[in-house]
Amino acid sequence: MATITAPALPGVPVDERTRLRVSDYLKWSVDHKIIGVQYSVTALIFFIIGGALAMLVRWELLTPALDLAASGTSYNQLFTMHGTIMIFLWIIPMMAGFGNYLIPLMLGAKDMAFPWLNAFAFWLIPPAGILMILGWFAGQAEAGWTSYPTLSTLFSPGDGQTMWAIAIHLLGISSILGALNFIVTIRNMRPEGMGYFQMPLFVWAMLATSIIIVMATPFLAAGLTLLILDRVAGTAFFDPTRGGDVLLWQNVFWFYSHPAVYIMVLPGFGILSEVLSVHSRKPIFGYRAVALSSMAIALVGFTVWAHHMFTSLMPSLRIPFMLTSMIIAVPTGIKIFSWIGTMWGGKIRFTSAMLFAVGFLSMFVIGGISGVMLAAVPFDLHVHDTYFVVSHFHFVLYGGSVLAIYAGIYHWFPKVTGFMLDERLGKAHFWVTYVSFFFTFFPMHLLGMLGMPRRVAVYAPEFQTLNAIVSFSSFVLGISTFILLFNLVYAFYQKKVAGPNPWRALTMEWATDSPPPAHNFHGDPIPFRNPYGYGTESAFRYLEAQERELGPSYPVNQLPPGKSVTPAASGAPAGD
Amino acid sequence: MNLPKFGNNRPVSASGVSWVWVLVAGVIIVVGGYLISTVTPYLFPPQGSAQAVLIDDLFRFMLFVGGAIFILVEGLLLISVIRYRARKGERADGPPIQGNTTLEFVWTLIPAIIVAILSLYAFVVWQQIETPAANAQQVGAVGQRFAWTFTYSFDNNMLPPETDTTRVDAGVLTRLSEGSSISFSSPQLHTWVNQPVTVSMETDDVNHAFWIPGMRLKQDLLAGRVTTVSFTPIEAGVYRIVCAELCGSGHGQMAGVVTESGDLSGAWLIVHPDEATYLDQFYYPEVEKILYPPTDPVALGRQVIQNYACAGCHRLDDLGWAGVTGPNLNGVASRTARLQATGIATMDEYLHHSIRHPADYLVPGYGNLMPQFNPEPDQPNYMPDSDLDAIVAYLLTQTGS
Repeated sequence: MATITAPALPGVPVDERTRLRVSDYLKWSVDHKIIGVQYSVTALIFFIIGGALAMLVRWELLTPALDLAASGTSYNQLFTMHGTIMIFLWIIPMMAGFGNYLIPLMLGAKDMAFPWLNAFAFWLIPPAGILMILGWFAGQAEAGWTSYPTLSTLFSPGDGQTMWAIAIHLLGISSILGALNFIVTIRNMRPEGMGYFQMPLFVWAMLATSIIIVMATPFLAAGLTLLILDRVAGTAFFDPTRGGDVLLWQNVFWFYSHPAVYIMVLPGFGILSEVLSVHSRKPIFGYRAVALSSMAIALVGFTVWAHHMFTSLMPSLRIPFMLTSMIIAVPTGIKIFSWIGTMWGGKIRFTSAMLFAVGFLSMFVIGGISGVMLAAVPFDLHVHDTYFVVSHFHFVLYGGSVLAIYAGIYHWFPKVTGFMLDERLGKAHFWVTYVSFFFTFFPMHLLGMLGMPRRVAVYAPEFQTLNAIVSFSSFVLGISTFILLFNLVYAFYQKKVAGPNPWRALTMEWATDSPPPAHNFHGDPIPFRNPYGYGTESAFRYLEAQERELGPSYPVNQLPPGKSVTPAASGAPAGD
Repeated sequence: MNLPKFGNNRPVSASGVSWVWVLVAGVIIVVGGYLISTVTPYLFPPQGSAQAVLIDDLFRFMLFVGGAIFILVEGLLLISVIRYRARKGERADGPPIQGNTTLEFVWTLIPAIIVAILSLYAFVVWQQIETPAANAQQVGAVGQRFAWTFTYSFDNNMLPPETDTTRVDAGVLTRLSEGSSISFSSPQLHTWVNQPVTVSMETDDVNHAFWIPGMRLKQDLLAGRVTTVSFTPIEAGVYRIVCAELCGSGHGQMAGVVTESGDLSGAWLIVHPDEATYLDQFYYPEVEKILYPPTDPVALGRQVIQNYACAGCHRLDDLGWAGVTGPNLNGVASRTARLQATGIATMDEYLHHSIRHPADYLVPGYGNLMPQFNPEPDQPNYMPDSDLDAIVAYLLTQTGS
């Protein structure tokens, strides 16, 4: 027998249907749902800015000579800010946005453990972003997002580099505070009946991510502090002429920045588990392995950092980092095979969310393969700091994280706003993105291996054809983003009411209205005993009971009364 | 558990797939991976070093494995999206399969074995490329924003045959007879086939990285350290040298280029077919330039200027320089407007000043990037006054528009 919520107390009024107002989202609010949207919209704005910078970079690279950019310096500023904005102002906050919105709902809670801290962490982001962009008026940072001394200390005269470092400090604090909140919420606010191994995998992913953030980001803070001191206080941490060491920065920076890439991808893995299971109508294959592999990646991820330094690290230390970098392929492979196992045998609905999830699987594996190749030291000596590396990380960050974010947007937009996104626009968005993404980044593997270094505006003429293919594809990829942006706005005009559970999913965020009321649930929700229990009789009955209690969802709610999409004897699933 | 099974009496695995199909898939994956790996030669520049052969073979193996995994994963995805798509109107869920311990164990173990094999193979290759040969030619290198300079040396035992000691410059003769070695620089790295080379590298400013794609080896230059890279060329030819660590506005220009007239300018590795050709085409002529310096200051200046890294940033057609970061030196001696702008009386003085103190009078439109060439040997970018005078004498002949 499935119960959706505990019975309402007598005399307590039921919450009114929630009305969203734009002004609510522009103000300080401690409601995690509003904060989640604030994170997401802010992150999307920076995605557009970072993307525009990428378009300028690719325009410059249409020809081998320096033309669009006024100088090598201004070109260097373009990609420095592209990388920095995409990492610290787009992906990391966007993932935090998903976490903020979904974790309390998935745990049946009314809010996060520390709502005030939650709001504070968000509000650090807009000033940090503005500070970073203001750098353009003070001599913008030009040393790459990796900011190696002595280029970033003694040879970057503008103040933009210092502002860059301060802005990242603020963003790091925001990240740490958010992660602390997630860890405490997940640990303490799970409902009765939800042990760790009954949590949705998105929650596992955010837990692993938060542990990484709390452990790694302080190292970034340390490095940034030393950098700022070298730049403004005359210290010599990174100045070899006065006893400092440039490798100190590299080690400290990468000790954070390698785990940072897992911060950027693990939540995407979590999103993928949710979307694949729901839209394949099948349990996640190997739930425990997927959950524990997130933790394994988090742990092993701290042992691989110097694979970013194979050409600068002492030669005798390179092999150990090769070994750890190879090892981390194994838990990642477990996930990929588990996800395929989830789809295999299922009943796949090709919603836009599912298309992007499958897109993720197909592109991320390429990034994973090129990653293992990069782990092999002898080969890395050839392709380090070339377009091969640029290709690898864009496959895992765009073909991975961004496609996962898109899947998450299509999947949860109905819950957040109460309206469905347009599916035809979603499919158009998918196909334009998927094809142009591939032709933007795959040729970069060849460019790198054939001899084109990264971070150059000027290159050997024989690389022009490949660069032109990449650039033209990138312009199409840039345009594809606007299909999504249009859809996000258009949904409010089309007003296809979503209802509580348009995807008939079993996780608890769907056991309430769309959008959820102020305190998330009517009464105290009881979790269904298996967040991935698709195909069972009890799941079927649970969803039926939910529909009776909360009302019908899209598309059923669009039909005239009395009509049903479901045939009378709907496919009775296999036994419990 | 209700699990679908095919046919009657046909062998099936636990996931309901016939072993025949698994075998067929295995063959497709292995053969497909092999076929993908055959494109390896087209992905690299021509193999110039013994190390390149080892590295390319390692890559080919990784591409074989990667290609096989690619076919496996994409194939399974493709099959899933076709075979397991919900048919129109279908509202049912899929079967409630939670997992399969055996399968999960297999797909943990096999990737672990694969990465173990890759690690072992990569380690073996690493051992082979990491050990520098005992008889390596030692070359010094300096990376600076934005050019490479390679230094060679000679002493009394390495003079060209038929050296006429009566004509040798007195100062040089004295130093040679004391047993000292004399060094000279070139923007290009010269060696010959099958001769191992060890390059010892320092940077004058920020971190750079020394990369020769044809040799497949790369090593960072770290401020405050001397780093080394060793390789053995196996094929005569010219190989571009590229800077592979962001070093500032001229990072992209810190690489060898081919000028409009088809000449090589900037950082190139030149592998001569044998030692005799190397000595004949490069080493002895360079030594002779020092042994018998031209008396004419302009000719001396034209010779001596090529010991410095000016080609990295400046254009000068007389010497085939194609740099773009700094002002064009064609016709520099005719730019009297600079005298008016700076208040310096003569072009001779202006050119002297521009090399000793380049930061003082920046040409409009150019940044403060030129290294300062200092008069004392213990200072960075040492340029003795004698060299400076000769260089200026030469540059004063560069007239025209």
